[in-house]
Amino acid sequence: MDVWSSLMDGFATALTPMNFLYAVIGVILGTAVGVLPGLGPAMTVALLLPVTYALEPTSAFIMFAGIYYGGMYGGSTTSILLNTPGESSSVVTAIEGNKMAKAGRAAQALATAAIGSFVAGTIGTALLAVCAPIVVKFAVSLGAPSYFAIMVLALLAVTAVLGSSRLRGFASLGLGLAIGLVGMDSVTGQRRLTFGQPLLADGLDIVVVAVAIFAVGEALWVAAHLRRTPLHAIPVGQPWMGKSDWKRSWKPWLRGTAFGFPFGALPAGGAEIPTFLSYVTEKRLSKHPEEFGKGAIEGVAGPEAANNAAAAGTLTPMLALGLPTNATAAVMLAAFTSYGIQPGPQLFTSEGPLVWALIASLFIGNLLLLIINLPLAPMWAKLLQLPRPYLYAGILFFATLGAYSVNLQAFDLVILLVLGALGFMMRRFGLPVLPLILGVILGPRIEGQLRKTLQLSAGDPAGLFGEPIAVVIYVIIALILLWPFAYKLIRRNRPAAAPAAGASALATEPDDTVHSNHDAVYSDHKERP
Amino acid sequence: MTSLTTGLKGRSELGVALLLGAAGVVVFLDANGLVTPYSKSDPVGPKTVPFIVAGMLVVCAVLLAINVLRGGKGEAEGGEDVDLDHPADWKTILPLAGAFIANILLIDWAGWVISGTVLFWGSVLALGSRRYIRDGLISVALSLLTFYGFYLGLGIALPAGLLEGIL
Amino acid sequence: MTVVVGYVPTPEGEAALTQAITEARKNNSTLVLINSSKGEAAVDNRFAPEGEIQDIEQRLASQGIQYLIKRPVRGHDAAAEVLDAAEEHKADLIVIGLRRRTPVGKLIMGSTSQRILLEADCPVLAVKAS
Repeated sequence: MDVWSSLMDGFATALTPMNFLYAVIGVILGTAVGVLPGLGPAMTVALLLPVTYALEPTSAFIMFAGIYYGGMYGGSTTSILLNTPGESSSVVTAIEGNKMAKAGRAAQALATAAIGSFVAGTIGTALLAVCAPIVVKFAVSLGAPSYFAIMVLALLAVTAVLGSSRLRGFASLGLGLAIGLVGMDSVTGQRRLTFGQPLLADGLDIVVVAVAIFAVGEALWVAAHLRRTPLHAIPVGQPWMGKSDWKRSWKPWLRGTAFGFPFGALPAGGAEIPTFLSYVTEKRLSKHPEEFGKGAIEGVAGPEAANNAAAAGTLTPMLALGLPTNATAAVMLAAFTSYGIQPGPQLFTSEGPLVWALIASLFIGNLLLLIINLPLAPMWAKLLQLPRPYLYAGILFFATLGAYSVNLQAFDLVILLVLGALGFMMRRFGLPVLPLILGVILGPRIEGQLRKTLQLSAGDPAGLFGEPIAVVIYVIIALILLWPFAYKLIRRNRPAAAPAAGASALATEPDDTVHSNHDAVYSDHKERP
Repeated sequence: MTSLTTGLKGRSELGVALLLGAAGVVVFLDANGLVTPYSKSDPVGPKTVPFIVAGMLVVCAVLLAINVLRGGKGEAEGGEDVDLDHPADWKTILPLAGAFIANILLIDWAGWVISGTVLFWGSVLALGSRRYIRDGLISVALSLLTFYGFYLGLGIALPAGLLEGIL
Repeated sequence: MTVVVGYVPTPEGEAALTQAITEARKNNSTLVLINSSKGEAAVDNRFAPEGEIQDIEQRLASQGIQYLIKRPVRGHDAAAEVLDAAEEHKADLIVIGLRRRTPVGKLIMGSTSQRILLEADCPVLAVKAS
């Protein structure tokens, strides 16, 4: 089944009235959640997990995908109008976007953000549709040893590379793995960490964990530190752009997409790096560098495109390998599990129609988002005036409702409270949340692969290195783990080398060489017709 | 004595290290209690991964404690609506937790409609809203709506509790 | 002598402030400016941005007026804050801005203005935007 026909079938499914409705609901919810401070797409999908039990998986995922993309669009609206970006990926947009808004160009900023997001999202989704099957083809040939190695790599990459403190990342991962251990061992049936409680025998429901960590923990944390002084939203009419704005935006859009997608697809990528790279690149390449810092449209166009392309990119390993690289993808993976769908390379074969319908609905969702965000931006901005007590009380209310409805057990609510308190504590002490949820989701799977590997090799640890891919990955893992130590060693050796004559000369030279190089470049350009 | 306590006060993060260490010990002890005859089809056994996890937790606990004592600090998470200049607002959190716990206690015997109302109303009050009557009405409406909505739309029957015959 | 003015960053608020300045200069009074917010929502466009407040301070200082700017955010509505301030500072005059309303709007007059007019102990001067 080639990509084109699968995609067309996907469109047919995604465009049924029911699924289209869910797409609309998803994008509206996603935008609202992206605009509202204190909420996010991960939390929303987590809150909706219990509700979606009654839905067809396809419809549910179409809605989730809409929420995911919608969150990006909504987030940029807030960062432009308020200068308090929600997600770290919107930080860069806020730099130039808010300055543009303050200078009275909010409409243009919003327009370039929305259209750029659309362009990037569409191209990104197209790349997803093309790349995912390729990755799957490659992944299906992998055996348990390699798959185990890849999962370990993904876990390590998220823990050790993202976030400011690797130590706390590992601590968080440890906790997540421990939570994942609760329940019955899949192979021997023995109970682990149940402390004699029969209710824990089935393990902690991933839905309850996700809701507790993302919704309850977040709500409690924000409630504890609610910003009391209200902010001022810059009033704006309908977004639109003039001709010169278009001219200045289209290349940043494309460059941003090029930055965003690969980084989103890498396990250690995320959206912060590509948006930053895009900003720096646009500043270098801009014909109006002096505008940067005061409201340069390229500074909004590029990063926004990078943002959305990264979001599409993240879905590639999520769908093709079952490896989530950000919080929302992790929660969506939890959704797969709760439907009994095994994520991983076989997803494309076992649930092909669902996956392609999902991808098709991403295209539809992008278009819908452009339509609802461009003319309706002022309306979305009004959402910011919603009184926050209702907002956070609502989160706790629906979190409780959702967690309870999973098993109709009050015990789950106790777990919700305990884990919610854990989520609070983690946010207070800077333990990143993503490694924990990954530990809970991937832990059992990693253990399964490990046991399978050693089972195949009849207990011989060399079995872990049985496949060449596995060995390569272990080398990469070793590099990632040892890099900071190596860096420190290099640093320590450098001061010893500095006094050497050549080094100090080099240290003072750069400025002159840079200047003359620059002039040479410029003069070249001038001479060419 | 005083210098010790003041020194410790700023190091509340040590509590995290303590938690990690305790978790590691618990995981270890629990896994230790498992009975595992060696089997060819499962050489790894159900104990191995728990041991690894326990080891990881204890190592992290120790390293974290060292890091904190040396002056390291975990960065509290920021956000759009978050103002980190002030310490945690316990006057808000404790009532919120209270409303939550009340719901847990009430839900099975008093029913969702009542417990949900208490939860929402309590939460809104804890968060500072002062429109008591309006909030109360909204709470009841929400609980009723979700009660019927979940039953009719999703087939999930939330407990009716005390209002058994009426609903 | 004290003049309390309820300020919002709108033409009406501006008009009220201008009038309040005139009144304050008449008797060399202290001008107390109240710009409050309930603080419930993340965004409140009636809460003046920091820059605007600084501009106002400069304006008042350059006109030689003794002033006090208060920006309470404690969950009370604007009328309550203005009335509180009037009581606390023993105001001789309250100045507020009034919006021109449509016929229907006139039926439901702004509750803030209404409350202040009805509950104030001192004279209230209601000003429309110029």
